[in-house]
Amino acid sequence: MYITALKTISPQPTYDESFFEGNHIVHSGNKYRVTEPDYTGIINPGLLRRMGKSIRIGIGAGIPLIRNRKDIDAIIIASSEGGQEESIKFLNQILDYNEGPLTPTNFIQSNPNALAGTLALMSQNNCYNITHVHKGNAFECSLTDASLLIEEGKAKTILVGNVEEISDYNFNIEVLAGKYKEKETSSENLLLSGTPGTVCGEGSCMFILEASSKDYFARIGGIEQITFPTEEELHDLVRNMLAKNNLNPTDIDAIILGYNGDSRTDFWYNNLSRRIFPGQPVNTYKNLVGEFPSSIAFAVYLGAWVISGKGSRVTGITLPGKPIRNLLIYNHYYGEQHGLILMST
Amino acid sequence: MDKKELKENLKKHIVKYVNILDYKPEQIPDTMPLFGPQGLGLDSIDTLEISVMLQREYGVKLTDPAEARRVLVNIETVAYYIISTKSPVEK
Repeated sequence: MYITALKTISPQPTYDESFFEGNHIVHSGNKYRVTEPDYTGIINPGLLRRMGKSIRIGIGAGIPLIRNRKDIDAIIIASSEGGQEESIKFLNQILDYNEGPLTPTNFIQSNPNALAGTLALMSQNNCYNITHVHKGNAFECSLTDASLLIEEGKAKTILVGNVEEISDYNFNIEVLAGKYKEKETSSENLLLSGTPGTVCGEGSCMFILEASSKDYFARIGGIEQITFPTEEELHDLVRNMLAKNNLNPTDIDAIILGYNGDSRTDFWYNNLSRRIFPGQPVNTYKNLVGEFPSSIAFAVYLGAWVISGKGSRVTGITLPGKPIRNLLIYNHYYGEQHGLILMST
Repeated sequence: MDKKELKENLKKHIVKYVNILDYKPEQIPDTMPLFGPQGLGLDSIDTLEISVMLQREYGVKLTDPAEARRVLVNIETVAYYIISTKSPVEK
């Protein structure tokens, strides 16, 4: 499966791709919000006024990739939480108006599958359309789905992407659950904080995946996921994944790990890199975009640019000083869902 | 609330409920069509939003679709409907 086009709206200046020319945003506080582009020419103003943030950024990233294409065989979106802000607004309406009449817009916007549906409507695409909502493995499930469709010959060109948004209501609940840092940190020192909790992020990454292509950013060679593993099970999974692709750990030129600065769960990354990839450059991405369930999509976005040789000027990216042939991404979501994605030239 | 006040109030609620980005309440003329390209450009989902807004904010229910088509024309007609429904003497 080959990544032939990609577009991202994230807390970094990725939409205009100046991020890959060394431009980046330093965030402070616990919420890394996206830098939204001007949607003129992408979203009709009549539709834009009704769109919640998750739909808006998902459409903003997805439509430019598919609007002039008639060969999209499937739209597959990963969104663990969908339009959470709209969802909570809708629930609040039920209380505020004593279970009286409810307006439909918040409800329409709140479903995780609203984005995939809106992408299909706006591009007049009536093919396979699905949303995976498997919390921290939502994006891995979407890629697996795309991979199966391609292997079975049911699709040749697929739009795969993710979307998550920061909901202020939900953020407050998650603060009480101890998910986020109590003291303010900067994105520059997040990973060195050594304290419990992380920061909240959001964004939408969209990819065109094709069964075959000569002009591409990167190839996705393997996708694995596992829930509630022991460290031994995880390390076995990594070794088996590499073996399935006829690779040794030393064949991996760089790794991207999902360090989020949470002292309670970052040991997974320390131990994996120390035991299996002791000599490889380690790169991180949640210091750029924050933590959210399908954040691994941003690592794939970063990996695609790095493998294509265009992403070497990203602030904080450490490369081995030679062309990268194989790159492994490992991420977990609060130590529960773990995902691995192997990318190659 | 007199009719002028009601119309200003109505414009604020419509802008808020259907999230109109192009107009501020004071920029909406009383006779500007709510629907269609010559007016505010609202659509069928907005009809539901306005209908809920009328019920929540003014205690007025729009249940007959034919009546809704007559009422939801512009600010003037909606204001007239609210006044006539709530206090027929003020017509």
